[in-house]
Amino acid sequence: MIAVENSDPNSFVLLQVGERRFALPSEIVVELAPPVRLHTFPHTSALVAGVIVRRGQIVPVYDVAPTLLGKDSPAHRFYLIAQRTFEKSMEASAIPLNGECELASAEVQPPAEGRPDYISGTLEIGEETVELLNFEALVTHQSAESRNPSHAGVQS
Amino acid sequence: MKIASQDTGKSRRARRTEPVILFSVAHQTFAISADSVQEIRSTDSIAGAANEIERPFMAKVRHTLDRAHRKYYVVNACAHFNLPVTRPTLVLILRQLRVAVLVDKIERMAEINAVHPLPRAFIGEERRWYRGLAYVEDHVVPVVEPTGFLTREEFLALDRTTKAAESQREMEGAVPA
Repeated sequence: MIAVENSDPNSFVLLQVGERRFALPSEIVVELAPPVRLHTFPHTSALVAGVIVRRGQIVPVYDVAPTLLGKDSPAHRFYLIAQRTFEKSMEASAIPLNGECELASAEVQPPAEGRPDYISGTLEIGEETVELLNFEALVTHQSAESRNPSHAGVQS
Repeated sequence: MKIASQDTGKSRRARRTEPVILFSVAHQTFAISADSVQEIRSTDSIAGAANEIERPFMAKVRHTLDRAHRKYYVVNACAHFNLPVTRPTLVLILRQLRVAVLVDKIERMAEINAVHPLPRAFIGEERRWYRGLAYVEDHVVPVVEPTGFLTREEFLALDRTTKAAESQREMEGAVPA
């Protein structure tokens, strides 16, 4: 588990989803948690896979792989816990990851033209260009797949 | 020697628990407050009191149940929760609501310490279906909201339909041969 304490606006957490790496602002990341048990129950909320229990708190899990990769990701190794902001409060939220995270500092460049609204920029990390995620836009993004009514109420 | 103060301390520390019935539908476990269930019957035992709705317009309600001069609507929990259709064997007859719920089986009774609010990530019908989530041993189980099985509008629509069907039957019965 890695606790992230860096609140530098140019500080980012690099995360592995499937074969790709993305970045999130470090200020919203709480920790990287081990793959605890996912509890599922019927619901109709797109992208929500279920809940996990972390430090006595019930944390919703967003399955963002279909949105980011266009397909399900392989077995999850960790959950990244990030804070999602609601009107006056925050809610811890988890996304499943396939690899460990890395802390990096970089200047944010504008996103490539035509990228979805959940990509808010790009970072140059060594030789690699990593897309910066807008967490709120990502977890509320209605992909064509999640709008499919056949997904309603089905457990993941 | 007086030891009442120790007992008081203990009782203050003791958490207030709520008895719930754990039931399952299509291999999913749900909890419902025991206070909100009046009776649990097998589907076989209520067959004589159940009536099929002639033109069902709601997939989850296909039967009514006459009990104590009241008409209960029988909600299929599989259809309500969008779960794969199973063959229910039990009916939970709810207290204070004209609703009976078809379920697969009763797992057991349990005591829960708290009902935790549904995370705000959940924005769909589940906000109406559940009071929240509860820990039952090492599981997180949704706690069903009894009033969530049928909305007021659904009750009104069902009442209108069943009354119209009853009137139709009475008129047909009154026609001289």
